[in-house]
Amino acid sequence: LRVISYCFVCSYPWETVIKAAMRKYPNPMNPNVVGVDVLDRSLDAEGRLHSHRLLSTEWGLPAIVRAILGTNHTQTYVKEHSIVDPEEKKMELCSTNITLTNLISVDERLVYRPHPDNPEVTILTQEAIITVKGVSLSSYLEGMMARRMSANARKGWDAIEWIIQNSEREYASL
Amino acid sequence: MNSVGEACTELKREYDQCFNSWFSEKFLKGDRSGDPCTETFKKYQRCVQKAIKEKDIPIDGVEFMGPIKDKPES
Repeated sequence: LRVISYCFVCSYPWETVIKAAMRKYPNPMNPNVVGVDVLDRSLDAEGRLHSHRLLSTEWGLPAIVRAILGTNHTQTYVKEHSIVDPEEKKMELCSTNITLTNLISVDERLVYRPHPDNPEVTILTQEAIITVKGVSLSSYLEGMMARRMSANARKGWDAIEWIIQNSEREYASL
Repeated sequence: MNSVGEACTELKREYDQCFNSWFSEKFLKGDRSGDPCTETFKKYQRCVQKAIKEKDIPIDGVEFMGPIKDKPES
């Protein structure tokens, strides 16, 4: 079991970041996400927006890992639940893989909040729990996944910035 | 972005467009009225649910860490 956590600061206001986060895919930083579907979406009594989404991903695991895990499945499905609270200005997003669960589980939790001292800036905290099950070398695999995810965490933030810059260009060209 | 069901991608685009404009123009600006995309969503959902069944994707019964546990869905 590995737990990794990060904190990033982004120099855009919360609303801008959230808009980008909701339409984060596709982006060039996460080519492994090949499909996104909304399964359910509703407002709760407190006016928060809940979205359940299904992500279709290509993990692109190295051949050695596929050999150790004994699978050729490269397509993996991830379920994601996000809650946007426009009053409190908080977006929380949890995700977990729903296939290959007998081999590995990757649980992620992201929270986007405005910086307490500067509303023009948004803070993203991100944590992930990786568990590889029932294979020898699991600590090796967990370490490797953790390194991959560390790289991906940074990419996630780059993706948000890319979306923001791109949609600004989009609006500007209208 | 594609849908899990190839046939649903067009319906998904239509829904996404409707949702995204409601989300940025109304929801984030404090308008508490629901999104106007219900009809589009229903059509899109019928297509997606069919694709999920065909591909045998286990979307039910997955435990999440985080908000679901401390705040069960109603």
